[in-house]
Amino acid sequence: MGQQRDKWARVQQMIQSGAMPPKGRPRPDDTEVQNVLRALEQALAREEANLKPAPGRVTARRLNRAEYNNTVRDLLGVTLRPADDFPQDDSGYGFDNIGDVLSVSPVLMEKYLAAAERVARVALFGDERLKPTAVRHRPGDRRIDATTTPLTEYDLTGLTLPNALHVTHKFPVTGEYGIRLVMGGTRPGGSEPLRLNAWVDGKSLPEAQLDLDNAATFTPGRQEFTGNIVETRARVEAGERWLAGSIVRMYEGLPPEYNGPNPSKRTRPTPQEFRLPPDIPPERAEEIRRRVAQRRTETAPINEVRVVAIEIAGPYEQPTGPSPASLQQVYVCGHLNGKHAAAACARRIVAALARRAYRRPVKTTEVDKLVGLVTAARQQGDSFEESLCVALQAMLVSPHFLFRLERDPGVVVAGFTPAVRGNDDKRPAGAKPAATTAHLITQHELASRLSYFLWSSMPDDELLRCADAGALRNPSALAAQLRRMLKDLKSRALVENFGGQWLELRKLESLKPDRQRFPAFDEYLRLSMRRETELFIESVVRDDRSLLDFIDAPYTFVNERLAKYYALPDVKGPEFRRVSLVGNERRGGLVTQASVLTVSSYSTRTSPVLRGKWMLENLLNAPPPPPLPDAPTLDESQIGTTRSLRQQLEQHRANPICASCHIRMDALGFSLENYDAIGGWRELDGKLPIDATGTLPDGRAFKGSVELKQILRADRDAFTRCVAEKLLTYALGRGLERYDQPTVKAIAARVAKQDYRFSSLVLEIVNSMPFQQRANAQGERRS
Amino acid sequence: MITRKQLSRRTLLRGVGASIALPALDAMSPALASLNRVKAKSPVRLAFVYVPNGIILNEWRPAKTGRDFEFTRILKPLEKYRDDLFVLRGLDDRNGNELGDGPGDHARAGASILTGVHPRKTAGADVKGGVSVDQIAAQHFGRETRLPSLELGCEDARTVGNCDSGYSCAYTNSISWRGPTTPMPPEVNPRMAFERLFGVADFSLDEKTRARRAQQRKSILDLVRDDTQQLAKTLGTNDRRKIDEYLTAVREIEKRIQLAEHLDVNPALEKPSGIPLDFSEYARLMYDLMLVGFQADVTRVATFMVGREGSLRVYPEIGVPDPHHPLTHHRNNADWIEKVTKINCLHVQLFADFLGRLQATPDGDGTLLDHAAIVYTSGLADGNRHTHEDLPVLLAGHGDGALKPGSHLALKSGTPMTNLYLTLLDKAGVRTDKLGDSNGRLEPLSELNGV
Repeated sequence: MGQQRDKWARVQQMIQSGAMPPKGRPRPDDTEVQNVLRALEQALAREEANLKPAPGRVTARRLNRAEYNNTVRDLLGVTLRPADDFPQDDSGYGFDNIGDVLSVSPVLMEKYLAAAERVARVALFGDERLKPTAVRHRPGDRRIDATTTPLTEYDLTGLTLPNALHVTHKFPVTGEYGIRLVMGGTRPGGSEPLRLNAWVDGKSLPEAQLDLDNAATFTPGRQEFTGNIVETRARVEAGERWLAGSIVRMYEGLPPEYNGPNPSKRTRPTPQEFRLPPDIPPERAEEIRRRVAQRRTETAPINEVRVVAIEIAGPYEQPTGPSPASLQQVYVCGHLNGKHAAAACARRIVAALARRAYRRPVKTTEVDKLVGLVTAARQQGDSFEESLCVALQAMLVSPHFLFRLERDPGVVVAGFTPAVRGNDDKRPAGAKPAATTAHLITQHELASRLSYFLWSSMPDDELLRCADAGALRNPSALAAQLRRMLKDLKSRALVENFGGQWLELRKLESLKPDRQRFPAFDEYLRLSMRRETELFIESVVRDDRSLLDFIDAPYTFVNERLAKYYALPDVKGPEFRRVSLVGNERRGGLVTQASVLTVSSYSTRTSPVLRGKWMLENLLNAPPPPPLPDAPTLDESQIGTTRSLRQQLEQHRANPICASCHIRMDALGFSLENYDAIGGWRELDGKLPIDATGTLPDGRAFKGSVELKQILRADRDAFTRCVAEKLLTYALGRGLERYDQPTVKAIAARVAKQDYRFSSLVLEIVNSMPFQQRANAQGERRS
Repeated sequence: MITRKQLSRRTLLRGVGASIALPALDAMSPALASLNRVKAKSPVRLAFVYVPNGIILNEWRPAKTGRDFEFTRILKPLEKYRDDLFVLRGLDDRNGNELGDGPGDHARAGASILTGVHPRKTAGADVKGGVSVDQIAAQHFGRETRLPSLELGCEDARTVGNCDSGYSCAYTNSISWRGPTTPMPPEVNPRMAFERLFGVADFSLDEKTRARRAQQRKSILDLVRDDTQQLAKTLGTNDRRKIDEYLTAVREIEKRIQLAEHLDVNPALEKPSGIPLDFSEYARLMYDLMLVGFQADVTRVATFMVGREGSLRVYPEIGVPDPHHPLTHHRNNADWIEKVTKINCLHVQLFADFLGRLQATPDGDGTLLDHAAIVYTSGLADGNRHTHEDLPVLLAGHGDGALKPGSHLALKSGTPMTNLYLTLLDKAGVRTDKLGDSNGRLEPLSELNGV
């Protein structure tokens, strides 16, 4: 079979799905088909069993943007995130940490040079001084249905009301900032001053008030807020923050005739006398008079006032000098009371920094050269810190820092040495490993692989110490390190970078669901749905839960916004908390989370095809081939009116070529039709009732998300292999090859035996041959 | 070829406002300057400054026409430049009127002021206006400068839905239109505008420090290059490919740094960090960016929207905490009229300061003001009543000798604004026969040569 293997697998697929032979051609009877299929299956299985695993050879990986930011943070205590301004990293095999794909352009090199200077200066001299500036965020309003009836039961903080505004803002440095709420809309004249709150990461700043009862207005009898700005000052730490502006106790303080809670005690102003502007032609004058008179009789709506933009002004005050974290990382000789004995131990400082920056022991000659830069600068009259800055910059642009380089040992180790327990991949007795040679990577290379896998950052001191001591292949020491690393907050990087790419959650940032169709969608919902899934994955990682929780779990994480969205009771406030979903049929597991449902939809409608494809790719490891170039498209205008989406797709499947893939994709996708394109629950699509049934090619019929999850649970082997393959790709930073299949299979099998615990997956990956070893250069294909 | 990168290294500009005498930037860039040198005369720079929501006309219009006109309350700051500007009466933007389309004067004012075309009433994506005067000039000069034109503004663009009675926000956001369906939204972030002009520039340092930093950067790259060459020899094919890529990038950067070395100039404008908090500082900075753009001959055409039509900016620093637009519908409320007047005065003061800096900036055989022709106009005449006739218009600069300013001119009532534009294009050497609703040049042409 050999080289032809993939072709035969495709033949098997086409026969299995019934796509071949084509409709209208003579068809063998069922027994005959089954016989052919069985023969094929056996041949493929034999081929699979004979596959020889190999460690592969990962290409030198350049730090990607997330890794660069995290690494300078951990190396120097600098929270600048300079890589946010670097060009976007290319990704391959679904991830942006793939060595072969990450390249260095002159543009990037220029950015590296500039970033090295900035990072080094911030570490040694403190944050750069920024002049106060203003940045305005205006993500667009949510729809507000005007009312004149006050609510009594509502969110008093105002955060979940459509009158609030939510944005994310990256604060460049720590300092004092003004958070300005730019207002819009009107409120009835005679209302008490409007009460406003600004929020940073869900924490409320002191309440502010805005009184416009006697200010300029277009509409007599109303307070006009448009264009008014309220500023609150706060000290904010550098980094990305969630900001919100909300109206507090919105239905209080209204004029008494609205019968709202805590009515206004103000006396109503006498309405201004209306005078027509001069030079108005009589026919217009009449119209204007009529309009004014009509306005006077109208009751002003009470829920129209809103925050339309958030402006961040500052920094007004910044801390000066290097941060304690930076001082601690740089001055290894001690740095007391602002005075340090540094000049005397330049060499120790440089050597210690280089060892951490290069993530390995450094040679004397390397340190000599770096110290040479310090000395040269000193001789030119630069201060010690300035001189040290030069050496630090040199480290930060060095390929030893920017790349994760793994070196071939001088002496080639022939064959494979089982590294530790768990690396004895089941090879048939007598089967020789692939005809190439490989070596165990060094302890320090292993430390880097571990830390970039779990933290997207450099190894910390403890990990380096373990590597120094050669302890990282000691099973109990390694297991202890892994436990420690997964518990560490830095493992959030795994959630963000692996989770964000595996589940395509990063798309959520740029998605723009149609405002007309989905007026409920705002930044708060976007942020909340992202956070739910992050916390959910994080809990599987940190609390070491079963991988199968991803398929279905009786719990999730929500704040008030999301709780309302999911119709879950008793959740108040912006903080997320774990809630039980026992007895709730609508939510539980990844496929019913709003984030996943949204990223697998179009901006205007759901797509069972996209959702089915998403599941095949990300949960079942069976990506469908791309559609045929002349595949017909759907008539969007008909959806929900005359012909349902399902009817249109069924027609599409009449074509057997299309059907071979769609029959599976669509069945999976249709079971989620009760969730709209932003993950909200629905019973109707337009005017037509939802039909959430599906039948898989193998005849299993199911309905709705509950039965979908049963199907997925039944396919848990495929699911486990899928997660194992994705996580292994991410851990190694290379695409998987045929020779990795036995490794993936072995990992998945072992994980199943360990109750699918997340830590067992990590441990099996870390212990696997491709993670522990690297093929020697000789075997490399010449390119 | 003049690349953005090369320019960025040369252009270490700093000290906005600190030193008014800006160095002749053409020294820094032979490549750019050569374009100037082939021309015997300095090129004419065209600028269009736009203020929103109309003007309190009683406080703007001088009573006397001719040379010895008086400077009214709003125009007062310009008195120093009596001989450098015209005050114009009688110019109309009649396509800003409703012409059967109903309300939406603000949107129409913005969209028609530089185009002379009545915009299609739509809140959707099918916007349609006309080509604006600056873009016609930009097409002409674009071949000779790095940026055909520069669009600046002090107010963020609104991007969603309709901005005025069923008109798309595109109409109020942009006065500059490259084509009937292509508005040119202004850059409102000074930092981005700076980078558009000069590329990603270095921050400001004194000359000695800069030289030393450059030297140190070179030794860093030397060290890294040597190390990497050693390293590359020990790597396998694929790793080596990556490291070679890195080496190539390092060499490329070294080359760029070398090129930049002998092209350094004294700084004249520091790279802005973002939008200044104070409005006056903000507007001044945008004017400065226009100025250095002209000075370095990076562009010859600019538009500047001090605010967009319907602006809701508040000016608490001058005692106007209320949003601008509602105030202009003052219905003869004296307090509100006073507040709008204060805003008008502030805008003119900032413009006057700009003229001062242009006058203090040497350019070829004179100053930038000598070679500029700058139109200052509001989109509406009376903001309270939304009138588009007899707009308050200033024309500043000498247009490289083509204009003889220094008077208050009353043009024939009902003269289209676009006639003024055609005349200016003529003087800048751009031949065009028609622009929007133009029906001729300003006749007699000598009108603009003073009385």
